Amino acid sequence: MIEVEGLSITSAAGPILRDVGLHVAPGERLGVVGESGSGKTLLAMSLMGMVPDGLSVTGSIRIDGAEMCGADESAWRRLRARRMAMIFQEPMSALNPLRRVGDTVAEPLIRHLGLAPRAARDKALALFDETGILDPERRLSQYPHQLSGGQRQRVLIALALACDPELLIADEPTTALDANVALRITRLLVRLAEERRMGLLFISHDLAAVSRTTERLMVMYGGDVVETGATAEVLRAPAHPYTAGLLSARPSLAAHGKRRLPTIPGSVPPPQELPRGCRFSGRCGQEIARCAAEMPQPVTTAPDSWAACHLLQARAKGAGA
Amino acid sequence: MSERRLSPNLVIGAALVTLVCGVALLSVIWTPHPHAVINVAQKFAPASAEHWLGTDQLGRDLVSQLMVAAGNSMMVAMLAVGVGCVLGTSLGLLAAARGGWTEEAIMRVSDLGFAFPALLFAIMLAAAYGPSLSVVVVAIAFINIPIFARVSRAAANQVWHREYVYAARAAGMGRFAISRDHILPNIAAPVIVQATIEFAVAILTEAALSYLGLGAQPPAPSWGRMLSEAQTLMYLAPQLAIWPGLCIFVAVLGFGLLGDGLRDMTDPRLVRERRA
Repeated sequence: MIEVEGLSITSAAGPILRDVGLHVAPGERLGVVGESGSGKTLLAMSLMGMVPDGLSVTGSIRIDGAEMCGADESAWRRLRARRMAMIFQEPMSALNPLRRVGDTVAEPLIRHLGLAPRAARDKALALFDETGILDPERRLSQYPHQLSGGQRQRVLIALALACDPELLIADEPTTALDANVALRITRLLVRLAEERRMGLLFISHDLAAVSRTTERLMVMYGGDVVETGATAEVLRAPAHPYTAGLLSARPSLAAHGKRRLPTIPGSVPPPQELPRGCRFSGRCGQEIARCAAEMPQPVTTAPDSWAACHLLQARAKGAGA
Repeated sequence: MSERRLSPNLVIGAALVTLVCGVALLSVIWTPHPHAVINVAQKFAPASAEHWLGTDQLGRDLVSQLMVAAGNSMMVAMLAVGVGCVLGTSLGLLAAARGGWTEEAIMRVSDLGFAFPALLFAIMLAAAYGPSLSVVVVAIAFINIPIFARVSRAAANQVWHREYVYAARAAGMGRFAISRDHILPNIAAPVIVQATIEFAVAILTEAALSYLGLGAQPPAPSWGRMLSEAQTLMYLAPQLAIWPGLCIFVAVLGFGLLGDGLRDMTDPRLVRERRA
Protein backbone atom coordinates (compact mmCIF):
# COMPACT_ATOMS: atom_id res chain seq x y z
CA MET A 1 0.00 0.00 0.00
CA ILE A 2 1.50 3.27 -1.12
CA GLU A 3 0.09 6.70 -0.27
CA VAL A 4 1.50 9.93 -1.59
CA GLU A 5 0.33 13.33 -0.41
CA GLY A 6 1.47 16.81 -1.36
CA LEU A 7 4.59 15.49 -3.06
CA SER A 8 6.64 18.27 -4.60
CA ILE A 9 10.04 18.01 -6.19
CA THR A 10 12.02 21.15 -6.78
CA SER A 11 15.24 21.76 -8.65
CA ALA A 12 17.38 24.86 -8.46
CA ALA A 13 15.52 26.15 -11.53
CA GLY A 14 12.04 25.70 -10.07
CA PRO A 15 9.41 23.14 -9.18
CA ILE A 16 9.29 20.01 -11.36
CA LEU A 17 6.50 18.25 -9.51
CA ARG A 18 3.82 20.11 -7.57
CA ASP A 19 1.53 18.79 -4.91
CA VAL A 20 1.02 15.28 -6.28
CA GLY A 21 -1.20 12.88 -4.38
CA LEU A 22 -1.98 9.27 -5.16
CA HIS A 23 -2.65 5.96 -3.49
CA VAL A 24 -2.37 2.43 -4.77
CA ALA A 25 -3.82 -0.44 -2.75
CA PRO A 26 -2.92 -4.10 -3.33
CA GLY A 27 -4.45 -5.28 -6.60
CA GLU A 28 -5.28 -1.74 -7.68
CA ARG A 29 -4.12 -0.48 -11.06
CA LEU A 30 -3.47 3.23 -11.45
CA GLY A 31 -2.46 4.88 -14.71
CA VAL A 32 -0.43 8.06 -15.07
CA VAL A 33 -0.53 9.82 -18.43
CA GLY A 34 1.02 12.99 -19.72
CA GLU A 35 3.44 14.01 -22.41
CA SER A 36 7.21 14.02 -22.10
CA GLY A 37 8.34 16.50 -19.49
CA SER A 38 5.20 16.26 -17.39
CA GLY A 39 7.08 14.65 -14.51
CA LYS A 40 5.80 11.09 -14.85
CA THR A 41 9.19 9.42 -14.71
CA LEU A 42 10.35 11.60 -11.85
CA LEU A 43 7.23 10.62 -9.95
CA ALA A 44 8.09 6.95 -10.50
CA MET A 45 11.68 7.53 -9.42
CA SER A 46 10.53 9.29 -6.26
CA LEU A 47 8.41 6.27 -5.32
CA MET A 48 11.54 4.11 -5.62
CA GLY A 49 13.65 6.58 -3.64
CA MET A 50 15.81 7.17 -6.69
CA VAL A 51 15.34 10.90 -7.23
CA PRO A 52 18.55 12.28 -8.80
CA ASP A 53 20.91 14.16 -6.48
CA GLY A 54 20.37 17.87 -6.22
CA LEU A 55 16.56 17.81 -6.25
CA SER A 56 14.65 18.53 -3.07
CA VAL A 57 11.67 16.35 -2.26
CA THR A 58 8.93 17.53 0.09
CA GLY A 59 5.55 16.12 1.05
CA SER A 60 4.70 12.64 2.19
CA ILE A 61 5.41 9.21 0.70
CA ARG A 62 3.99 6.53 2.95
CA ILE A 63 4.79 2.94 2.15
CA ASP A 64 3.00 0.39 4.33
CA GLY A 65 2.41 3.17 6.79
CA ALA A 66 6.07 4.16 7.08
CA GLU A 67 6.99 7.69 6.07
CA MET A 68 9.72 7.42 3.44
CA CYS A 69 10.05 11.02 2.32
CA GLY A 70 13.55 12.05 3.32
CA ALA A 71 14.54 8.48 4.24
CA ASP A 72 18.14 7.52 3.51
CA GLU A 73 19.42 5.19 0.82
CA SER A 74 19.70 2.13 3.06
CA ALA A 75 16.09 2.48 4.26
CA TRP A 76 14.94 2.68 0.66
CA ARG A 77 17.10 -0.28 -0.34
CA ARG A 78 15.33 -2.44 2.23
CA LEU A 79 12.02 -1.69 0.52
CA ARG A 80 13.11 -1.93 -3.09
CA ALA A 81 12.39 -5.24 -4.79
CA ARG A 82 10.44 -6.50 -1.75
CA ARG A 83 7.82 -3.74 -1.41
CA MET A 84 7.97 -2.05 -4.76
CA ALA A 85 9.74 -2.84 -7.99
CA MET A 86 10.06 -1.02 -11.24
CA ILE A 87 10.29 -1.82 -14.92
CA PHE A 88 11.68 0.57 -17.45
CA GLN A 89 10.97 2.15 -20.76
CA GLU A 90 13.83 0.70 -22.76
CA PRO A 91 14.13 -3.05 -22.37
CA MET A 92 17.14 -2.77 -24.68
CA SER A 93 19.18 -0.75 -22.23
CA ALA A 94 17.70 -1.85 -18.92
CA LEU A 95 19.59 -5.15 -19.00
CA ASN A 96 23.32 -5.35 -18.45
CA PRO A 97 24.69 -6.42 -21.86
CA LEU A 98 27.48 -8.42 -20.23
CA ARG A 99 25.36 -10.58 -17.90
CA ARG A 100 23.28 -13.63 -18.66
CA VAL A 101 19.65 -12.67 -18.10
CA GLY A 102 19.21 -15.64 -15.75
CA ASP A 103 21.95 -14.26 -13.49
CA THR A 104 20.37 -10.81 -13.53
CA VAL A 105 17.06 -12.24 -12.35
CA ALA A 106 18.67 -14.60 -9.82
CA GLU A 107 20.67 -11.77 -8.23
CA PRO A 108 17.91 -10.27 -6.03
CA LEU A 109 16.72 -13.78 -5.13
CA ILE A 110 20.14 -14.63 -3.74
CA ARG A 111 20.68 -11.28 -2.06
CA HIS A 112 17.26 -10.53 -0.65
CA LEU A 113 15.66 -13.93 -0.17
CA GLY A 114 18.88 -15.72 0.71
CA LEU A 115 18.31 -18.48 -1.82
CA ALA A 116 21.16 -20.78 -2.83
CA PRO A 117 22.28 -20.27 -6.44
CA ARG A 118 20.62 -23.52 -7.47
CA ALA A 119 17.28 -22.57 -5.87
CA ALA A 120 17.54 -19.05 -7.27
CA ARG A 121 17.94 -20.51 -10.74
CA ASP A 122 14.84 -22.64 -10.27
CA LYS A 123 12.88 -19.63 -9.04
CA ALA A 124 14.14 -17.56 -11.98
CA LEU A 125 12.96 -20.34 -14.27
CA ALA A 126 9.53 -20.28 -12.63
CA LEU A 127 9.40 -16.48 -13.03
CA PHE A 128 10.35 -16.76 -16.70
CA ASP A 129 7.56 -19.25 -17.08
CA GLU A 130 5.08 -17.01 -15.28
CA THR A 131 5.95 -14.00 -17.44
CA GLY A 132 5.45 -16.02 -20.60
CA ILE A 133 9.05 -16.20 -21.77
CA LEU A 134 9.34 -18.78 -24.50
CA ASP A 135 11.78 -21.62 -23.96
CA PRO A 136 12.67 -20.31 -20.46
CA GLU A 137 15.28 -22.98 -19.72
CA ARG A 138 17.44 -21.87 -22.64
CA ARG A 139 16.80 -18.15 -22.07
CA LEU A 140 18.31 -18.28 -18.58
CA SER A 141 21.82 -18.60 -19.97
CA GLN A 142 21.39 -16.13 -22.83
CA TYR A 143 22.62 -12.57 -23.06
CA PRO A 144 20.28 -9.59 -23.65
CA HIS A 145 21.34 -9.17 -27.28
CA GLN A 146 20.03 -12.66 -28.04
CA LEU A 147 16.50 -11.69 -26.96
CA SER A 148 13.82 -9.71 -28.77
CA GLY A 149 12.42 -6.50 -27.26
CA GLY A 150 9.28 -8.18 -25.96
CA GLN A 151 11.25 -11.04 -24.41
CA ARG A 152 13.60 -8.56 -22.75
CA GLN A 153 10.69 -6.65 -21.27
CA ARG A 154 9.38 -9.96 -19.91
CA VAL A 155 12.80 -10.63 -18.37
CA LEU A 156 12.62 -7.23 -16.70
CA ILE A 157 9.15 -7.99 -15.42
CA ALA A 158 10.45 -11.32 -14.08
CA LEU A 159 13.28 -9.40 -12.37
CA ALA A 160 10.79 -6.97 -10.86
CA LEU A 161 8.56 -9.79 -9.60
CA ALA A 162 11.47 -11.73 -8.09
CA CYS A 163 10.86 -10.74 -4.48
CA ASP A 164 7.03 -10.56 -4.65
CA PRO A 165 6.64 -6.78 -4.51
CA GLU A 166 3.33 -5.24 -3.42
CA LEU A 167 3.60 -2.52 -6.02
CA LEU A 168 4.94 -2.69 -9.53
CA ILE A 169 5.85 0.62 -11.14
CA ALA A 170 5.90 0.36 -14.92
CA ASP A 171 7.50 3.42 -16.53
CA GLU A 172 6.33 3.45 -20.15
CA PRO A 173 6.90 -0.29 -20.48
CA THR A 174 5.38 -0.46 -23.95
CA THR A 175 6.83 2.66 -25.56
CA ALA A 176 9.78 0.88 -27.14
CA LEU A 177 7.75 -2.10 -28.31
CA ASP A 178 5.65 -2.58 -31.41
CA ALA A 179 1.88 -2.45 -31.00
CA ASN A 180 1.31 -6.18 -31.03
CA VAL A 181 3.97 -6.93 -28.43
CA ALA A 182 2.81 -3.94 -26.38
CA LEU A 183 -0.69 -5.40 -26.27
CA ARG A 184 0.61 -8.69 -24.91
CA ILE A 185 2.80 -6.97 -22.32
CA THR A 186 -0.12 -4.91 -20.99
CA ARG A 187 -2.27 -8.04 -20.77
CA LEU A 188 0.53 -9.78 -18.90
CA LEU A 189 0.77 -6.87 -16.43
CA VAL A 190 -2.98 -6.94 -15.78
CA ARG A 191 -2.93 -10.69 -15.27
CA LEU A 192 0.04 -10.53 -12.90
CA ALA A 193 -1.51 -7.69 -10.88
CA GLU A 194 -4.73 -9.67 -10.51
CA GLU A 195 -3.14 -13.04 -9.75
CA ARG A 196 -0.64 -11.66 -7.27
CA ARG A 197 -2.92 -9.00 -5.71
CA MET A 198 -0.19 -6.55 -6.61
CA GLY A 199 -0.64 -2.82 -7.08
CA LEU A 200 0.31 -1.49 -10.49
CA LEU A 201 1.36 2.04 -11.30
CA PHE A 202 1.31 2.22 -15.06
CA ILE A 203 2.98 5.25 -16.58
CA SER A 204 2.44 5.88 -20.25
CA HIS A 205 1.54 8.39 -22.89
CA ASP A 206 -0.28 5.67 -24.82
CA LEU A 207 -3.93 6.20 -23.92
CA ALA A 208 -4.96 2.91 -25.49
CA ALA A 209 -2.48 1.00 -23.35
CA VAL A 210 -3.62 2.88 -20.25
CA SER A 211 -7.28 2.18 -20.92
CA ARG A 212 -6.55 -1.54 -21.33
CA THR A 213 -4.42 -1.73 -18.24
CA THR A 214 -5.74 0.49 -15.49
CA GLU A 215 -8.85 1.10 -13.39
CA ARG A 216 -8.03 4.60 -12.29
CA LEU A 217 -6.21 7.33 -14.15
CA MET A 218 -4.19 10.39 -13.28
CA VAL A 219 -3.43 12.98 -15.96
CA MET A 220 -0.31 15.06 -15.44
CA TYR A 221 0.82 18.23 -17.12
CA GLY A 222 3.94 20.23 -16.36
CA GLY A 223 4.41 18.60 -12.97
CA ASP A 224 0.81 19.04 -11.84
CA VAL A 225 -1.96 16.48 -11.65
CA VAL A 226 -4.70 18.11 -13.71
CA GLU A 227 -7.34 15.41 -13.62
CA THR A 228 -7.99 12.10 -11.95
CA GLY A 229 -10.81 9.58 -11.91
CA ALA A 230 -11.93 6.19 -13.11
CA THR A 231 -10.04 5.43 -16.33
CA ALA A 232 -13.13 4.65 -18.40
CA GLU A 233 -14.94 7.79 -17.20
CA VAL A 234 -12.02 10.12 -17.73
CA LEU A 235 -11.44 8.82 -21.23
CA ARG A 236 -15.15 8.91 -22.08
CA ALA A 237 -15.83 12.38 -20.75
CA PRO A 238 -12.62 14.29 -20.05
CA ALA A 239 -13.21 17.24 -17.73
CA HIS A 240 -9.92 19.04 -18.26
CA PRO A 241 -9.11 20.66 -21.63
CA TYR A 242 -5.66 19.03 -21.56
CA THR A 243 -7.13 15.53 -21.22
CA ALA A 244 -9.55 16.35 -24.00
CA GLY A 245 -6.63 17.56 -26.14
CA LEU A 246 -4.69 14.37 -25.50
CA LEU A 247 -7.70 12.28 -26.44
CA SER A 248 -8.41 14.11 -29.67
CA ALA A 249 -4.75 13.84 -30.66
CA ARG A 250 -5.05 10.07 -30.92
CA PRO A 251 -4.71 8.85 -34.48
CA SER A 252 -7.82 6.94 -35.51
CA LEU A 253 -8.14 4.48 -38.35
CA ALA A 254 -11.71 5.53 -39.15
CA ALA A 255 -10.69 9.10 -39.82
CA HIS A 256 -7.55 8.15 -41.67
CA GLY A 257 -6.86 10.43 -44.60
CA LYS A 258 -9.99 12.48 -44.04
CA ARG A 259 -8.61 14.96 -41.57
CA ARG A 260 -5.41 16.33 -40.18
CA LEU A 261 -4.54 14.85 -36.82
CA PRO A 262 -5.48 17.47 -34.22
CA THR A 263 -2.59 18.42 -31.98
CA ILE A 264 -2.05 20.42 -28.85
CA PRO A 265 -0.03 23.41 -30.08
CA GLY A 266 3.50 23.84 -28.74
CA SER A 267 5.24 21.60 -26.22
CA VAL A 268 5.64 21.48 -22.46
CA PRO A 269 7.86 24.45 -21.52
CA PRO A 270 10.91 23.76 -19.34
CA PRO A 271 10.13 23.94 -15.58
CA GLN A 272 11.47 27.47 -15.10
CA GLU A 273 9.27 28.82 -17.94
CA LEU A 274 5.99 27.22 -16.88
CA PRO A 275 3.19 29.74 -16.24
CA ARG A 276 2.52 30.56 -12.62
CA GLY A 277 -1.18 29.82 -12.74
CA CYS A 278 -2.62 26.90 -14.62
CA ARG A 279 0.37 25.16 -16.16
CA PHE A 280 -1.59 24.48 -19.32
CA SER A 281 -2.38 28.13 -19.98
CA GLY A 282 -0.72 29.37 -23.13
CA ARG A 283 -1.47 26.10 -24.92
CA CYS A 284 -5.10 25.74 -23.91
CA GLY A 285 -7.77 26.47 -26.52
CA GLN A 286 -10.37 27.53 -23.97
CA GLU A 287 -8.26 29.85 -21.90
CA ILE A 288 -9.94 32.61 -19.88
CA ALA A 289 -8.44 35.67 -18.23
CA ARG A 290 -7.39 34.26 -14.87
CA CYS A 291 -5.84 31.01 -16.18
CA ALA A 292 -2.29 32.35 -16.52
CA ALA A 293 -2.22 34.12 -13.17
CA GLU A 294 -4.15 31.93 -10.78
CA MET A 295 -3.68 28.26 -10.01
CA PRO A 296 -7.01 26.42 -10.41
CA GLN A 297 -8.35 24.40 -7.48
CA PRO A 298 -9.53 20.83 -7.91
CA VAL A 299 -13.23 20.53 -8.69
CA THR A 300 -14.96 17.27 -7.91
CA THR A 301 -16.49 15.89 -11.09
CA ALA A 302 -17.67 12.53 -9.81
CA PRO A 303 -17.12 10.50 -6.62
CA ASP A 304 -13.35 10.15 -6.22
CA SER A 305 -12.72 12.15 -9.39
CA TRP A 306 -11.61 15.70 -9.88
CA ALA A 307 -10.06 18.08 -12.35
CA ALA A 308 -8.25 21.35 -11.77
CA CYS A 309 -9.55 23.90 -14.26
CA HIS A 310 -11.00 27.41 -13.93
CA LEU A 311 -13.69 26.59 -16.47
CA LEU A 312 -15.04 23.85 -14.21
CA GLN A 313 -14.94 26.19 -11.25
CA ALA A 314 -16.89 28.79 -13.17
CA ARG A 315 -19.38 26.19 -14.31
CA ALA A 316 -19.77 24.76 -10.80
CA LYS A 317 -20.38 28.26 -9.48
CA GLY A 318 -22.86 28.94 -12.25
CA ALA A 319 -24.73 25.76 -11.43
CA GLY A 320 -24.71 26.57 -7.71
CA ALA A 321 -26.08 30.09 -8.20
CA MET B 1 31.50 -9.90 -37.15
CA SER B 2 33.55 -11.37 -39.98
CA GLU B 3 33.83 -8.08 -41.86
CA ARG B 4 35.40 -6.34 -38.86
CA ARG B 5 38.97 -5.64 -39.93
CA LEU B 6 41.72 -5.67 -37.36
CA SER B 7 43.71 -2.47 -37.44
CA PRO B 8 47.38 -2.73 -38.45
CA ASN B 9 48.30 -1.13 -35.12
CA LEU B 10 46.66 -3.98 -33.29
CA VAL B 11 48.28 -6.69 -35.38
CA ILE B 12 51.79 -5.23 -35.28
CA GLY B 13 51.46 -4.39 -31.58
CA ALA B 14 50.21 -7.85 -30.70
CA ALA B 15 53.03 -9.45 -32.70
CA LEU B 16 55.73 -7.37 -30.98
CA VAL B 17 54.21 -7.95 -27.54
CA THR B 18 54.02 -11.68 -28.19
CA LEU B 19 57.66 -11.66 -29.27
CA VAL B 20 58.87 -9.77 -26.18
CA CYS B 21 56.73 -11.80 -23.76
CA GLY B 22 57.75 -15.05 -25.47
CA VAL B 23 61.44 -14.23 -25.11
CA ALA B 24 60.89 -13.15 -21.50
CA LEU B 25 59.15 -16.44 -20.68
CA LEU B 26 61.77 -18.45 -22.52
CA SER B 27 64.54 -16.78 -20.51
CA VAL B 28 63.13 -18.37 -17.37
CA ILE B 29 63.84 -21.88 -18.61
CA TRP B 30 66.54 -21.38 -21.23
CA THR B 31 69.19 -18.94 -22.35
CA PRO B 32 72.03 -19.70 -24.77
CA HIS B 33 74.55 -19.12 -21.95
CA PRO B 34 74.22 -18.39 -18.26
CA HIS B 35 73.76 -14.63 -18.39
CA ALA B 36 76.06 -13.69 -15.51
CA VAL B 37 79.09 -15.86 -16.28
CA ILE B 38 82.16 -13.67 -16.76
CA ASN B 39 84.76 -14.75 -19.27
CA VAL B 40 87.28 -11.95 -19.65
CA ALA B 41 89.25 -13.86 -22.28
CA GLN B 42 86.19 -13.60 -24.52
CA LYS B 43 85.44 -9.87 -23.93
CA PHE B 44 84.08 -7.83 -26.83
CA ALA B 45 83.72 -10.99 -28.90
CA PRO B 46 81.98 -10.26 -32.21
CA ALA B 47 78.76 -11.98 -33.23
CA SER B 48 79.36 -15.66 -33.92
CA ALA B 49 77.60 -19.01 -33.80
CA GLU B 50 78.72 -19.29 -30.16
CA HIS B 51 77.64 -15.78 -29.10
CA TRP B 52 74.87 -14.63 -31.46
CA LEU B 53 75.28 -10.96 -30.72
CA GLY B 54 78.75 -11.17 -29.26
CA THR B 55 79.84 -10.49 -25.67
CA ASP B 56 80.22 -7.42 -23.48
CA GLN B 57 83.24 -5.89 -21.73
CA LEU B 58 83.34 -8.78 -19.24
CA GLY B 59 82.78 -11.49 -21.84
CA ARG B 60 79.13 -12.13 -20.85
CA ASP B 61 76.81 -13.36 -23.59
CA LEU B 62 74.77 -10.42 -24.89
CA VAL B 63 71.73 -12.42 -26.08
CA SER B 64 71.38 -14.15 -22.72
CA GLN B 65 71.57 -10.83 -20.88
CA LEU B 66 68.99 -9.23 -23.15
CA MET B 67 66.64 -12.18 -22.65
CA VAL B 68 66.88 -12.14 -18.86
CA ALA B 69 66.53 -8.35 -18.92
CA ALA B 70 63.32 -8.75 -20.93
CA GLY B 71 62.01 -11.05 -18.18
CA ASN B 72 62.94 -8.54 -15.46
CA SER B 73 61.42 -5.70 -17.39
CA MET B 74 58.13 -7.56 -17.95
CA MET B 75 58.01 -8.63 -14.32
CA VAL B 76 58.49 -5.07 -13.06
CA ALA B 77 55.92 -3.66 -15.51
CA MET B 78 53.41 -6.39 -14.72
CA LEU B 79 53.69 -6.01 -10.95
CA ALA B 80 53.71 -2.21 -11.04
CA VAL B 81 50.87 -1.79 -13.51
CA GLY B 82 48.94 -4.65 -11.88
CA VAL B 83 49.12 -3.12 -8.41
CA GLY B 84 48.44 0.38 -9.75
CA CYS B 85 45.52 -0.87 -11.81
CA VAL B 86 43.84 -2.84 -9.00
CA LEU B 87 44.24 -0.07 -6.41
CA GLY B 88 43.48 2.76 -8.81
CA THR B 89 40.41 1.10 -10.31
CA SER B 90 39.08 0.25 -6.85
CA LEU B 91 39.45 3.88 -5.83
CA GLY B 92 37.81 5.04 -9.05
CA LEU B 93 34.88 2.67 -8.53
CA LEU B 94 34.54 3.79 -4.93
CA ALA B 95 34.60 7.44 -5.97
CA ALA B 96 31.89 6.89 -8.58
CA ALA B 97 29.77 4.77 -6.25
CA ARG B 98 29.87 7.14 -3.28
CA GLY B 99 29.93 10.49 -5.03
CA GLY B 100 29.86 13.62 -2.89
CA TRP B 101 32.84 14.42 -0.72
CA THR B 102 34.30 10.90 -0.98
CA GLU B 103 34.61 11.35 -4.73
CA GLU B 104 36.02 14.85 -4.33
CA ALA B 105 38.60 13.66 -1.79
CA ILE B 106 39.75 10.72 -3.90
CA MET B 107 40.03 12.77 -7.05
CA ARG B 108 41.86 15.68 -5.40
CA VAL B 109 44.37 13.30 -3.80
CA SER B 110 44.76 11.71 -7.24
CA ASP B 111 45.58 15.14 -8.66
CA LEU B 112 48.30 15.40 -6.03
CA GLY B 113 49.63 12.03 -7.17
CA PHE B 114 49.64 13.25 -10.75
CA ALA B 115 51.70 16.25 -9.77
CA PHE B 116 54.39 14.02 -8.24
CA PRO B 117 57.05 12.89 -10.78
CA ALA B 118 57.77 9.15 -10.71
CA LEU B 119 61.49 9.76 -11.01
CA LEU B 120 61.56 11.97 -7.95
CA PHE B 121 59.55 9.44 -5.99
CA ALA B 122 61.90 6.62 -7.05
CA ILE B 123 64.95 8.66 -6.05
CA MET B 124 63.35 9.32 -2.67
CA LEU B 125 62.58 5.63 -2.15
CA ALA B 126 66.05 4.62 -3.33
CA ALA B 127 67.61 7.06 -0.90
CA ALA B 128 65.57 5.60 1.94
CA TYR B 129 65.65 1.88 1.14
CA GLY B 130 68.58 1.52 -1.26
CA PRO B 131 68.17 1.08 -5.01
CA SER B 132 66.49 -2.13 -6.16
CA LEU B 133 63.85 -3.40 -8.56
CA SER B 134 61.31 -3.33 -5.71
CA VAL B 135 61.82 0.41 -5.44
CA VAL B 136 61.09 0.69 -9.15
CA VAL B 137 57.95 -1.42 -8.81
CA VAL B 138 56.63 0.66 -5.91
CA ALA B 139 57.41 3.95 -7.65
CA ILE B 140 55.71 2.97 -10.90
CA ALA B 141 52.73 1.43 -9.09
CA PHE B 142 52.35 4.62 -7.11
CA ILE B 143 52.15 6.87 -10.16
CA ASN B 144 49.75 4.43 -11.82
CA ILE B 145 47.16 4.60 -9.02
CA PRO B 146 45.83 8.08 -9.85
CA ILE B 147 45.87 7.32 -13.57
CA PHE B 148 43.62 4.29 -13.16
CA ALA B 149 41.50 6.03 -10.54
CA ARG B 150 40.77 8.81 -12.99
CA VAL B 151 40.07 6.56 -15.98
CA SER B 152 37.84 4.16 -14.06
CA ARG B 153 35.93 6.90 -12.26
CA ALA B 154 35.12 8.69 -15.50
CA ALA B 155 33.96 5.48 -17.15
CA ALA B 156 32.08 4.33 -14.03
CA ASN B 157 30.22 7.63 -13.72
CA GLN B 158 28.88 7.08 -17.22
CA VAL B 159 27.82 3.52 -16.48
CA TRP B 160 26.07 4.62 -13.26
CA HIS B 161 23.59 6.48 -15.45
CA ARG B 162 22.80 3.52 -17.66
CA GLU B 163 19.31 2.19 -17.36
CA TYR B 164 20.44 -1.27 -16.29
CA VAL B 165 22.08 0.25 -13.27
CA TYR B 166 18.79 1.97 -12.39
CA ALA B 167 17.14 -1.41 -12.84
CA ALA B 168 19.68 -3.01 -10.50
CA ARG B 169 19.09 -0.25 -7.94
CA ALA B 170 15.35 -0.73 -8.30
CA ALA B 171 15.98 -4.40 -7.57
CA GLY B 172 17.49 -3.35 -4.25
CA MET B 173 21.16 -3.89 -5.09
CA GLY B 174 23.64 -1.99 -2.96
CA ARG B 175 26.36 0.24 -4.30
CA PHE B 176 29.07 -2.32 -3.69
CA ALA B 177 27.24 -5.14 -5.46
CA ILE B 178 26.38 -2.87 -8.39
CA SER B 179 29.98 -1.72 -8.68
CA ARG B 180 31.21 -5.30 -8.77
CA ASP B 181 28.54 -6.91 -10.94
CA HIS B 182 27.51 -4.13 -13.28
CA ILE B 183 30.01 -1.28 -13.31
CA LEU B 184 33.32 -3.16 -13.31
CA PRO B 185 32.57 -5.46 -16.28
CA ASN B 186 31.34 -2.51 -18.29
CA ILE B 187 34.40 -0.34 -17.67
CA ALA B 188 36.85 -3.21 -18.29
CA ALA B 189 37.56 -2.12 -21.87
CA PRO B 190 38.96 1.37 -21.16
CA VAL B 191 40.82 0.06 -18.10
CA ILE B 192 42.49 -2.71 -20.12
CA VAL B 193 43.44 -0.24 -22.85
CA GLN B 194 44.93 2.07 -20.23
CA ALA B 195 46.80 -0.84 -18.64
CA THR B 196 48.38 -1.76 -21.97
CA ILE B 197 49.54 1.80 -22.55
CA GLU B 198 50.80 2.12 -18.98
CA PHE B 199 52.71 -1.12 -19.52
CA ALA B 200 54.73 0.65 -22.23
CA VAL B 201 55.30 3.64 -19.96
CA ALA B 202 56.35 1.32 -17.13
CA ILE B 203 58.96 -0.40 -19.33
CA LEU B 204 60.37 2.99 -20.26
CA THR B 205 60.38 4.18 -16.66
CA GLU B 206 62.07 1.01 -15.47
CA ALA B 207 64.75 1.45 -18.14
CA ALA B 208 65.24 5.09 -17.12
CA LEU B 209 65.49 4.28 -13.42
CA SER B 210 67.90 1.40 -14.04
CA TYR B 211 69.95 3.66 -16.30
CA LEU B 212 70.25 6.06 -13.38
CA GLY B 213 71.30 3.16 -11.18
CA LEU B 214 68.15 3.19 -9.07
CA GLY B 215 66.75 -0.06 -10.44
CA ALA B 216 68.23 -3.46 -11.19
CA GLN B 217 71.52 -4.01 -9.39
CA PRO B 218 74.36 -6.09 -10.87
CA PRO B 219 74.46 -8.88 -11.79
CA ALA B 220 70.70 -8.72 -12.58
CA PRO B 221 70.63 -7.49 -16.16
CA SER B 222 68.36 -4.67 -17.23
CA TRP B 223 68.11 -2.90 -20.55
CA GLY B 224 68.49 0.46 -18.90
CA ARG B 225 71.60 -0.49 -16.94
CA MET B 226 73.13 -2.20 -19.98
CA LEU B 227 72.69 1.10 -21.81
CA SER B 228 74.40 3.09 -19.10
CA GLU B 229 77.31 0.63 -18.93
CA ALA B 230 77.68 0.70 -22.70
CA GLN B 231 77.70 4.47 -22.73
CA THR B 232 81.39 4.76 -21.88
CA LEU B 233 82.21 2.14 -24.51
CA MET B 234 80.22 3.78 -27.30
CA TYR B 235 83.21 4.17 -29.66
CA LEU B 236 84.72 0.82 -28.77
CA ALA B 237 81.65 -1.37 -28.95
CA PRO B 238 78.53 0.51 -30.15
CA GLN B 239 76.54 -2.73 -30.48
CA LEU B 240 76.45 -2.99 -26.65
CA ALA B 241 74.27 0.15 -26.60
CA ILE B 242 72.37 -0.49 -29.80
CA TRP B 243 70.88 -3.88 -28.86
CA PRO B 244 69.40 -2.97 -25.46
CA GLY B 245 68.18 0.29 -26.97
CA LEU B 246 66.47 -1.62 -29.73
CA CYS B 247 64.89 -3.96 -27.18
CA ILE B 248 63.41 -1.01 -25.24
CA PHE B 249 62.19 0.45 -28.52
CA VAL B 250 60.51 -2.77 -29.63
CA ALA B 251 58.85 -3.45 -26.27
CA VAL B 252 57.54 0.10 -25.82
CA LEU B 253 56.38 0.34 -29.42
CA GLY B 254 54.66 -3.05 -29.16
CA PHE B 255 52.64 -2.21 -26.06
CA GLY B 256 51.91 1.29 -27.33
CA LEU B 257 50.54 0.01 -30.64
CA LEU B 258 48.60 -2.76 -28.91
CA GLY B 259 46.99 -0.23 -26.58
CA ASP B 260 46.10 2.04 -29.50
CA GLY B 261 44.70 -0.87 -31.47
CA LEU B 262 42.61 -2.07 -28.53
CA ARG B 263 41.28 1.42 -28.01
CA ASP B 264 40.28 1.68 -31.66
CA MET B 265 38.52 -1.65 -31.38
CA THR B 266 36.63 -1.00 -28.16
CA ASP B 267 35.83 2.71 -28.19
CA PRO B 268 32.26 2.92 -29.49
CA ARG B 269 32.74 6.46 -30.75
CA LEU B 270 35.62 5.42 -32.97
CA VAL B 271 33.78 2.30 -34.12
CA ARG B 272 30.84 4.44 -35.21
CA GLU B 273 33.11 6.89 -37.04
CA ARG B 274 34.74 4.09 -38.97
CA ARG B 275 31.39 2.65 -40.01
CA ALA B 276 30.12 6.01 -41.19
